[in-house]
Amino acid sequence: MTKTTGMEQIRKTQKKYCSLAITFAIFAGIIFFLFDLKPIGKGLIFGTIFSIINFILMGETLPMKIGISRNKAAVFSFLSILLRYALLAIPLVSSIKLERFNIGATVCGLFMVQLVILADEMLHQFYFSTRKKKYSKKLLWKN
Amino acid sequence: MTDDIQVWVKVAAFIGGGMAMGFGALGAAIGEGYTAAKANEAIARNPQISGDLFKTMLIGQAIAESASIFALVIAMILLFTDFAAESYVMVSVLLAAGLSMGLGAIGSGVGSGFPAGEACTGIARQPAMNGRLTTNMLIGSAVCQTPAIFALVTSFILLFTNFSDRPVSPTWAAILGAGFASGFGAIGSGLGGGLVAQASCEGIARQPLSATPVTNVMLLGQAVTQTTAIYGLLISFILMFKGFAPSQSIAESMALLGAGLCMGIGAIGPGIGEGFTAQSAVKWISRNQSATASLTRSMLVGQAVAESTGIYALVISLVLIFVI
Repeated sequence: MTKTTGMEQIRKTQKKYCSLAITFAIFAGIIFFLFDLKPIGKGLIFGTIFSIINFILMGETLPMKIGISRNKAAVFSFLSILLRYALLAIPLVSSIKLERFNIGATVCGLFMVQLVILADEMLHQFYFSTRKKKYSKKLLWKN
Repeated sequence: MTDDIQVWVKVAAFIGGGMAMGFGALGAAIGEGYTAAKANEAIARNPQISGDLFKTMLIGQAIAESASIFALVIAMILLFTDFAAESYVMVSVLLAAGLSMGLGAIGSGVGSGFPAGEACTGIARQPAMNGRLTTNMLIGSAVCQTPAIFALVTSFILLFTNFSDRPVSPTWAAILGAGFASGFGAIGSGLGGGLVAQASCEGIARQPLSATPVTNVMLLGQAVTQTTAIYGLLISFILMFKGFAPSQSIAESMALLGAGLCMGIGAIGPGIGEGFTAQSAVKWISRNQSATASLTRSMLVGQAVAESTGIYALVISLVLIFVI
């Protein structure tokens, strides 16, 4: 029950941030394409795709580390990090080697999920939030 | 001769890449592990909201990982770019770029794990504060990344500026010193910033009505904590951009290398110390809001005193560069 709820919450979070990240990358990419800056647009979208894959893998492997022995969890975490970093290396090496991708834009794309998380939280906190009213009613410190 | 330079440039690129990723992975791994440990504790305390806790842990780990992704970027550039082998200065440039990014990512990686972990604990204890705690954690973690960004900037400048027209001696030492100043200089500030952000997450969970002053003082405390990383960046810029006259004396080269080391290592302690000061101030502001003004004053005075050793390091570095 707990595990399912956790997984559902993770998937919901991933869906939200990944769709925002790819939408923003495609939108920005189209603008760069229109201004004939194709390598920048391609690099941004390329980097964002791998940023999303990394974020999804990060979330998907989280529950797998729970409920197994400590040694197995350590080995599993190491392999998961190795896999994710090897994946992140693909767009970087490609943009270093291929002129059709701009390296700077690819790097920006790799941080797209993180940027979207920050931007989304800030916007909600400072412009759309009504939480202040809610939390002042129930202050319960669970010891 | 050119072949020799080419071989050494390749060797330096490989070692630099290894150091960038090796050191760079260190901090983020510790930070992420700390977050996960605290999340486990929080889930055990309040299993009904495990979904929210998983979400916070995932977001916190994603941000803590940024520093090691910076390191990965620099490592990949070092490993897969064909660098011009015109001068032996390039050897020093590539080593310094790797060192700067690798060392610079340690503090930010560990530091941004602290607020993420504390946010998990806070949400378990005070579920109604989930949104505010997540935002505060994200702001705190993002500010913790600043020293790593300074190190990244230094590495990029080193990699994309042409130093081959400079005399090999003492430029090799100045460049290496720049890498040390920026890399070591970022460690203390990253860690210190993390401590402050951790206290603010704990404070908001404990006393939600104090959220605004706690976040404000956290930002002030983190800003002061970053100053030693800025000193490191300053010395690094001077070492990179001040033209040095050719010299065959090893003493002059060592003075420049020493300047970088002095500033870099000298910035570690003040960064952490200032973090402790601001951590305590933020912690007690959440418990006693009426003392915000006195606590803020005491925090700033304490941080100024803790910073003095960083200023001594800055002065000695400037003496080594401009006087000796």
